[in-house]
Amino acid sequence: MFRIGAETISRMSTVGILVVGAGFIADAHIRAITGESRAELAGVVDVDPGRARAFAYANGNARYGTELAEALTWPDVDAVIVCTPNHTHVPIALQVAAAGKHLLVEKPLATTVAGARQVVDAFAAANLVVAAAHTHRSYDYGLAVRSMIDSGAIGDPVAARLSILGGWIWPDWRAWVLDPDRSGGHSLHNGVHLLDLVTWWLRDAPVRVYARGRNQTAGELRIYDYLEMTVEYARGGTAVCEMSRAHRPGSFGYRDLLIAGTAGVIEQGWDGESSLLFTEQGLQTVPSAGGDGFARQLAAWLDSLDGAPPRMSPADAVQAVALGVASELSIARGEPVELAEVLGDQVVPA
Amino acid sequence: MIGVLLVGFAGIGEQDHQSAMYLPAWLAQPDARVVGVVPTGAADRATAQKVAAELDVPIHDDLDAALRHDAVELVSVAAPMDRRVDVVSAALRAGKHVLADKPLAATLDEVEEIAAAQGDSLLVPALHQRLAAPLVSARAALAAGRVGLPWNVQVDFLVAGGTPSPSGELLNLGVYPVDVLHALLGLDAIRVYARRGRYWNDVADDFVTLLIDYANGVTGTIVLGRTASLDGVAPAGLARHRYRISGSHGVLDVDATKPALRVRTLDATSPGPASTSVTTLIAQTCRAVADGGTAPVGIDDARHVHQVVDAANRSLASARPEPVAPGGDAR
Repeated sequence: MFRIGAETISRMSTVGILVVGAGFIADAHIRAITGESRAELAGVVDVDPGRARAFAYANGNARYGTELAEALTWPDVDAVIVCTPNHTHVPIALQVAAAGKHLLVEKPLATTVAGARQVVDAFAAANLVVAAAHTHRSYDYGLAVRSMIDSGAIGDPVAARLSILGGWIWPDWRAWVLDPDRSGGHSLHNGVHLLDLVTWWLRDAPVRVYARGRNQTAGELRIYDYLEMTVEYARGGTAVCEMSRAHRPGSFGYRDLLIAGTAGVIEQGWDGESSLLFTEQGLQTVPSAGGDGFARQLAAWLDSLDGAPPRMSPADAVQAVALGVASELSIARGEPVELAEVLGDQVVPA
Repeated sequence: MIGVLLVGFAGIGEQDHQSAMYLPAWLAQPDARVVGVVPTGAADRATAQKVAAELDVPIHDDLDAALRHDAVELVSVAAPMDRRVDVVSAALRAGKHVLADKPLAATLDEVEEIAAAQGDSLLVPALHQRLAAPLVSARAALAAGRVGLPWNVQVDFLVAGGTPSPSGELLNLGVYPVDVLHALLGLDAIRVYARRGRYWNDVADDFVTLLIDYANGVTGTIVLGRTASLDGVAPAGLARHRYRISGSHGVLDVDATKPALRVRTLDATSPGPASTSVTTLIAQTCRAVADGGTAPVGIDDARHVHQVVDAANRSLASARPEPVAPGGDAR
């Protein structure tokens, strides 16, 4: 069965997907669509006509344009994947909901809690699916850790450490990501990946965030290239998350995780998924092919269009935004911030 | 030859650090000779008698009388916490050098009491982890500028199994990584935010996260605790002992459980020989006694550790970051 808007009909064809925003991350979504028999590219929209055309040509002469409103009326568009800068997510999402299309939007869902709630409410009212692309929940390591925790092997998980450090995090130091007015700041842009993932692993409600940020590479930076975000949970657990583009050398690629439970420990070191390559240029890692997180994410999203439970609920997407907002606020204040403060009195929709 | 008097066979709670840690290192030290033992109460009398018999040395019931012996040049103190400040202070006032189990004292006030008694003697708090071989090398690498200007340190210090500390692991295990960071960075902590939990025993808090701001804008984070026993880790062994030091020009990732053999047999796994940092501490202490040199760890190091622990305890109560120096700037 396949839901279109409020209706449920038998699936007769593949899901036609409109990609909005033809930048770097759109390529990853396109690769996922290419490998997914249930989906096909129905068109691409970008404010830059040249980029829209180039993207369309590169992807089978897909239909392309610069106007979202028009593109939402194209035939075969059943659902939308949004890959635009973060500050545009809310207005675009509301437009997609009004057009009756399902949505997978790059993280963060929004740069404010109010914006995130507005999006979730609009899709709920239209009986449409909305998901934020927290891809790390679909990577091998993210799933393996959660699955190990679910198995009960380490008892009750009480503490987590997750560090993602590397030069690949942004190649272009002039990119919109480094403009806090457009990205919402680094906690919202990349920090939310870690904040959501550790919260999903620990299976507990976050209550407080204490974060420290640095403009490590240059004082002129307007976002923190190094973030350390500590989350405290309702049952007393703690998670320390580091997200960094500040580490040197720029060739550094480092992900490290530790989860301590009442009955055991899970660890994956920086080279835990990689082979080591020693060359004249020094030591490099060769990451294992592993599962494609974007493909898994797309598959889970398509499943949810068919009525399956989502891999990440809209409420969790709002919570991730709240954690990111709390992190930025905590850095500015130099003090811990209660999540209740950034969530206000409103209860996150289930 | 340095004459060593062993005083107390205790630690925190049920532990006997004298027998488990210091005595083997003294016996391995060719420049030192144990010349007597002193129990500190009914609880460690049997152990003291056993050690005295094995080493064929006298057992003394009166500490002050034992301290008057000329053969005693250094006192190895592993008294229980409630006797520690008195024993250490008495030994120092008697003009003896002291190697003292960590933590040096229960409170910062007691540390100051000991400092006031020190005189010209060497006082070596047994903050030996800074002498673990990989950390000595790490300190040298930092001093050689190999990561440039350090700006962040991340530490995991997780012990698996062993006897939990009845007063919590902050003052027990926590003093090690706090001291190591002080030694590596050469910077004082100025602000601490601390959180804790109790997950693996019914006695006291066994897990602590310390988020420390150092001088020069350096940030440091220590995750420490005593988990349940883990397969492949010797009882009370370090399951994870890591330092990642990030600098302006590089990153130094230290696994301080190295060098260790990984041994697998039919029915057990073992990390092999543990660090010999206690032996190193005692060898360097003997050299300092013999040469009149500087001890590898001193009262200032213990004071700093206790100041950080003190700030952490205040932070645990207030749920806010707290300044390390009394009346200091919390920002």
